[in-house]
Amino acid sequence: MTRLRTLSLPILLLLFVGLPVFWAFPEALPFWRTVGVILGWAGAGLLLFNLLLMVREVRIASGLGGLERITAWHHQTGLAAYLLLLLHPLALATAGWVESPELAWQVISPFSENWPVWLGWGGLICLMLGLAATFMHHLAYGTWRWLHGLLGLGVLAGFVHVLQLGISAGGLFALVAAVLLLLWRLLRVDLGIAAMPYIVTSVRSVAQSMVEVSLKPLAIPINAAPGQFVLTAFFKGPSYQGCGEFHPFTISDIGLEHELRIGVKALGDCTRRMQRLEPGVSARVHGPFGEFLKALPSRPQLWVAGGIGITPFLGFLRQQAVKNPTTLIYIYRGEQDAAYLDELTALSKACPELSLLAEATGTGLPNLQQLLPAANALANHECYVCGPPGLIEAVSRVLLDRGVPVERIHFEHFDFR
Amino acid sequence: MTRKLYIVSTTIFWLVVFGLGMTSALWNPAEQGNVQAQGKTITLVELAKHAAPGNCWMAIRGSVYDLSAYLPAHPSLPDIVLPWCGKEATEAYNTKTKGRPHAPYADELLTKYRIGTLAKAP
Repeated sequence: MTRLRTLSLPILLLLFVGLPVFWAFPEALPFWRTVGVILGWAGAGLLLFNLLLMVREVRIASGLGGLERITAWHHQTGLAAYLLLLLHPLALATAGWVESPELAWQVISPFSENWPVWLGWGGLICLMLGLAATFMHHLAYGTWRWLHGLLGLGVLAGFVHVLQLGISAGGLFALVAAVLLLLWRLLRVDLGIAAMPYIVTSVRSVAQSMVEVSLKPLAIPINAAPGQFVLTAFFKGPSYQGCGEFHPFTISDIGLEHELRIGVKALGDCTRRMQRLEPGVSARVHGPFGEFLKALPSRPQLWVAGGIGITPFLGFLRQQAVKNPTTLIYIYRGEQDAAYLDELTALSKACPELSLLAEATGTGLPNLQQLLPAANALANHECYVCGPPGLIEAVSRVLLDRGVPVERIHFEHFDFR
Repeated sequence: MTRKLYIVSTTIFWLVVFGLGMTSALWNPAEQGNVQAQGKTITLVELAKHAAPGNCWMAIRGSVYDLSAYLPAHPSLPDIVLPWCGKEATEAYNTKTKGRPHAPYADELLTKYRIGTLAKAP
């Protein structure tokens, strides 16, 4: 990643937090009141920054270092904003405490029949409930997404709260910016305006609960590379009705006519329904995103794939042979889950630089101490890991223990909740 | 990690808010250095001498209030409230945001800061 791309997010963060705090910095207010005001504006700036990180535009995502990185920042800054906004009323109450506990309570009491205070509480509670739902990964994606929307409602209530306090210029600017960013996300991403129309041309089963879907562009095709991923929603077909939600899928191949192939594993309600996809189903494809195998350095490689995490590696190998000595460790539960194994075996036989180690590990975590190369065999290696979060974490830990520098361990979660 | 941080911070927040509410409910006003109503009559000239943030009196609906201690806790920006220190502020009090009067709760709060009656104009 270039230096500018690395610094892009920290610079934007400083601007989004620094500018409102500088603009609203109070003069001649008691200490705790000043702290309360600063916390409020810093939290507001972080919320706006967080909304910007929610906008999934190909160029913006690429300029900021990829969707994976943006999503990680979205999660962290969202929580940081929440923490600052929890402290905001408490600091204001502390300012009142200097006078009396009664006054401290009056400042934040939700029983105060005061619209600014009610809106502040409303916003904070929406953020609280929205964040609680965010952490409930067992919820169905559709339900989860609606509950996550409470966070947007919380942000809007928070900025109306600022307006009600009489801070018209700052409050109005923040409110308009938040509405525009939320609309941008809703229209371009959730309703699919930024996506291109495609149609399903074939569907084939590649493993238990996993199909490979071929898609033909109906308009301008997206300019993707294998190994990148796209957000795809499926709609109606001859006897199929899709759920219309955009989900991330890795591109496993690109044809001469810009047809895409993507791997779809049944991981939830919507992707389970996609196992019944058929030719003729209309789809919309948004992207491409992802930096995972974009710029491979010229040194030996270790690739570790868990389950469907094999797709980006397969996509790469289908397009080109590896130029550096590469070890691909493919971990799957059982033979019935070993998607593309025959094809990978053939590819490794045809390419002398590629060695494939495929292993069925059952339902538990594999014995990575045994599976991964020893420390001396990892010297000067660039390591790429793709699979479930638990596997990525465990592999990264072993690699770090074996002396691989952190900047040489790359991974992609494909989890954008 | 983030989930844990969320749970811990939210729990602490509610404990502090609940604790503050309870402390306020059990607070004994006799210990506050009471500024309850007094019978003093205050002229507009005297009122005008108290027009600073740390020394802020306001006349509202015929009574005079010393709001110096309360001002830091007022929800609005100081720019909105401070210009009314030392002045007759009934109109401003009755027409705050978008022309709406303050809530009955604010009236109740105000009585705690009453220090006298505004003298009638000669």
